[in-house]
Order: sequence, then C-alpha cells, then structure tokens
Amino acid sequence: MAIHFTDAEFEKEVLQSDIPVIVDFWAEWCGPCRQIGPIIEELGQEYEGKVKVGKLDVDHNPGVAGQFGIRNIPTILFFKNGEVVDKQVGAVPKRMLEEKLKNLL
Amino acid sequence: MIDLNDKRLQQFGYLGLRARQVVEGFITGLHKSPFHGFSVEFSEHRAYNPGESIRHIDWKLFGKTEKLFVKRYEEETNLRCRLIVDGSASMLFPNIKSRPEEMQSKYQFAVFLSAVFMYLFRLQRDAVGLSIVTDKLEEHSNAKSTFIHHQVLMNILQNHLSTLPEKEAAQSVLIPNMHQIAERIHKRSMVIIMTDLFDVNHNAKDVLNALQHFKHNGHEVILFHILDRQWEEHFNYDNRPYRFIDLEDKSTIKVRPAEIRDLYQKKFAELTHDIKEQCPKYGVDYVEADIQDGLEKTLLGFFAKRAVKTGRS
Repeated sequence: MAIHFTDAEFEKEVLQSDIPVIVDFWAEWCGPCRQIGPIIEELGQEYEGKVKVGKLDVDHNPGVAGQFGIRNIPTILFFKNGEVVDKQVGAVPKRMLEEKLKNLL
Repeated sequence: MIDLNDKRLQQFGYLGLRARQVVEGFITGLHKSPFHGFSVEFSEHRAYNPGESIRHIDWKLFGKTEKLFVKRYEEETNLRCRLIVDGSASMLFPNIKSRPEEMQSKYQFAVFLSAVFMYLFRLQRDAVGLSIVTDKLEEHSNAKSTFIHHQVLMNILQNHLSTLPEKEAAQSVLIPNMHQIAERIHKRSMVIIMTDLFDVNHNAKDVLNALQHFKHNGHEVILFHILDRQWEEHFNYDNRPYRFIDLEDKSTIKVRPAEIRDLYQKKFAELTHDIKEQCPKYGVDYVEADIQDGLEKTLLGFFAKRAVKTGRS
C-alpha cells in the first residue's frame, strides 16, 4: 500500500527515512498520473519493508512540489539518505520503475 | 449484390473469423498488449510557461480547474511488423484432410497464425507487411496500418489458402530471401518468421546468419519453428514399408521406419539443436510450434512468455 505524504510530514517520512523512498508527485485531474497510480500501489506492496513507496498530491502539498521544482506530473523522485538520487518524469511501464528501484537497494 | 454462397467469401470470412476468435478468445484477456505500442501516448502534464505556444494546452483541464498545463506525448516506437511465411513445398506436409483446416499442414498453420497476428495488429493500429517466400520472394507488401491494407493482406493469405490444392510446390530458398527482406524493410521492425527451417541448402549457420542480419538492422526477431512433432520429430510411423518423398526435391526412398528411427531422430535433433541453442544468444525469440497443438495453445505459451519478458502482465 502506497503511503500518502504531505508537506507537514515530508521531512520526517522521506528525508529522514532509514530506508530508500520513492515519491510519486501526482494530481487527481492528471490522466497519466492515474495510469501510473496502480503501479505505484503494486510497488508499495512488493517492496514493503525494503523501500518506502508513497504519493504526494501536488495540489494539496505545493510546498514540497515547489521545493523540488516539480513542473511535470507525474514525476517520481527516488530518495536515498535524504537525497534525490534518481528521477522519472511521465508515465512509464512498471519494469522501468523497477529497474531504477533495484538500483536503490 | 454479394453472393453469400460464394466459396471464396465464406473462406475469407472463416480465416478472418478464426483469427478474431483466437484473439478475442484469450489474447484480449491479457491486460496489456504483448507488443510495444504504436502512435503516440499521452505521458505527462507539464506546467505551461508563459510565451510558449498555446497549441498543446489541455483546455479541458483549464475549463475544470483553471490550471494551465501542457499535454506532453511520448512517441513510442511505431510498431511495424513484418510477417514472413515460408511457402515452400515442405510446408505442405503432412496434409491430413481429416484435421481442422489450420492443422492440416504446416503452411496452413502458418497462414492462420499470420491471420491472428494481423488481426491483433489491426486492433492496435500497427503497420503490418507480409512476405511469402518460396523459391523466390513470391509476395512482399509494404508495412501499412490502414484498414484497407489489412483487408488486402488477409485477402492475399486467403488466396494462398484457396489455391493450395493446385499449388505448384516450390523448393524453398529461404536464406537468400531472408537477407533480401532484411535489406528491404524499415529499420527497427518486428519480424515474425514462420518456417519449418527445411531449406534446400539448409544449415544452421546460414539460418543464424540471416537472423543476425535482421538483428543487425535493429529488428526484433521472433522465429516460429513450425513442425508436426508426431511425424517429423518422433517419426511415429507404423512398422511397415513406406515410400517417403522429399517434397522439396521430389526424390523418393523406400524404407521401414523402425530401421531408421533412431538415426532419423538423432539427425533431426542435430538439425534443430544449433538454432534452438543459438537463438537466445543472438537475441532471437525462438518458438517451437507443433501444428497439432493448435493456434490457441501455441499462442498462449508465446504470449505468456512474452508478458514475463516485457514485464507486462
């Protein structure tokens, strides 16, 4: 199950996390985001305990989206030790995200 | 006025219908296309930058949310598929009329298999071209995605099926024709070859070289090795004298199957072993298709394997 991150908890949940984190920046009105949503949920289940997988609604959490200069959605950021180590913009097949995810581990 | 009793129309209908039945029967049960996509896909929204063209603004979204975003498309590789059917004499084996039409001979199986792929690509609006190889490049059409083009190709296949009984069986010259096709078609196509691999001057190295030629030109290659396992691999004939005719060069030999079975099986295994072993190394998808398994079983195995390979479920 993907976690829903917010501006308030982002620092604690993502930047201070002990394990790698991937964050899907999305919005409800965005078609490609809805397309990639189920993939994010699946990854959340498959990598539970190893990687924290979550989503951040850019409309309700403009602070974090602005901080990371998110202008395209969906954008998926890959965090390790509080730093962005990889990025994927746009809807892509699951295997591409998995490849990037495996590089985090 | 269309004559519904016209045999050709009925048969054409059958080929198309059978292809549709196979595709709709189970392939559409797969969640996503087993082949990579076509046309352009809407992949993301990007915030609109003042001053840039307003052509790609998502106005519907603006109407609903008053947000100015631009739609961005990712152009996936347009899928062009080339179907290559070996139409040589050996493909007319075993010609058992009591079986369903698609299982009567390797050639019929290949034609029905092509029709299924064509139907699938038509649904996906992909471009398909067809090549039929005998002693020459008998048929070679460009790859197009229009509905009419698909109909024309289906018609060509049907004509080949209809004229099968009076077909002057030709020797296969598969390898040179494969090289020729590799040069003539668009780069980065998907090439599906349907053959029994019985070429007059057959040896595995030549086949692999031809496959490598396709790979070198950036094509994705799928090789359907079509055979009737019962007769061709197991050599499962009764123990009585038979007269075997080489369909390619017409030479004959009288023999008791039991006497040569072991040797035959060994030679047959040798013939296919190299290709089977080497194809994965060359990045060629090798699929063994026993015509007695039928279309569904063959394709189910193929698509299941492909779904795993491409990471699509």
